[in-house]
Amino acid sequence: MIDNNVVDKSKDITILELLDRVLNKGVILTGDIVISVADIDLIYLGVKLMLSSVETMEQIRSGKSISK
Amino acid sequence: MIYSLLSVKRNQEELNDLLNQLKGISGGSLSSVSYATITAVVSEINGNHLIADQSNAVEYARIIEALAQQFTLLPMRFGSMMETNDAITKMMERNCLEIQQNLQKVDNKVEYGLKIFCDSGKLREKIKASYELNTQSSIKTTSQIINSIYRDYVDKKLAEHRLEDLLLTFVDSVIAGITGSLNRLKAICKFRKMITETTIIDAVFLLDKKNERSLVHLIDDFKNQFNELDFVLTGPWPPYNFVETTIK
Repeated sequence: MIDNNVVDKSKDITILELLDRVLNKGVILTGDIVISVADIDLIYLGVKLMLSSVETMEQIRSGKSISK
Repeated sequence: MIYSLLSVKRNQEELNDLLNQLKGISGGSLSSVSYATITAVVSEINGNHLIADQSNAVEYARIIEALAQQFTLLPMRFGSMMETNDAITKMMERNCLEIQQNLQKVDNKVEYGLKIFCDSGKLREKIKASYELNTQSSIKTTSQIINSIYRDYVDKKLAEHRLEDLLLTFVDSVIAGITGSLNRLKAICKFRKMITETTIIDAVFLLDKKNERSLVHLIDDFKNQFNELDFVLTGPWPPYNFVETTIK
């Protein structure tokens, strides 16, 4: 039988891995695109990683892209 | 909102069928925009207003995952938006060669992530014990040379420094072992070490789909070899960590 704590821990790690990839990795677009963070209502900040990833997006926005 | 850049080739109908079955973020319909052999999967975001919350990020990943099951793709970073389909076409035209080269690099490949954790105190104790004799003799030598009130402090600092060196050597040996084994699978590996006190290795691998099972067995072998470490392997992922490209 699988320990519930192990399953929960695995789920947590998986969701953090997923968020890290979606928010911090992948092809980056620059130029006349909109990576709009300042206009967004951040309605959920329960995951610590999400906070750091939003900071990354803000850096991208201020440094490389033109906000609408 | 752009989700992914795909190599669709002759499977446009297959893509259309899949897009009809999926919904974009906020329930928007998914559609495709093509240029040459490249296709972008997109959906409308009302007023360019995107809520950057966990559920939208997970939804975004789910769509990319579904596409990756059937097509070679480059995942876009969450929040990538352009004003119009025409702007997307022009973006693909401007970056056509680079996008095609990246698509070729990840064709028929999957990404896996590996995190290796340890109980920092226990691992340090074990390493220290393994090298206790050498450390003792070195400290003795040093103590004979430095005969001052600062001797104990210097000895302590030297011992700490030695321990950190030994820990780093140990981590490097684990990385070398994994890299050596993965070479056989022709995997591309990226390692970051000593991320935190407890996360000693954070690695990502890109390998052929046919070698997935071999990777799992190989990591399992390492797990048995290093009982004091916790191995967490995740995947298969679309190749998020192997599309290091910024397009305009």
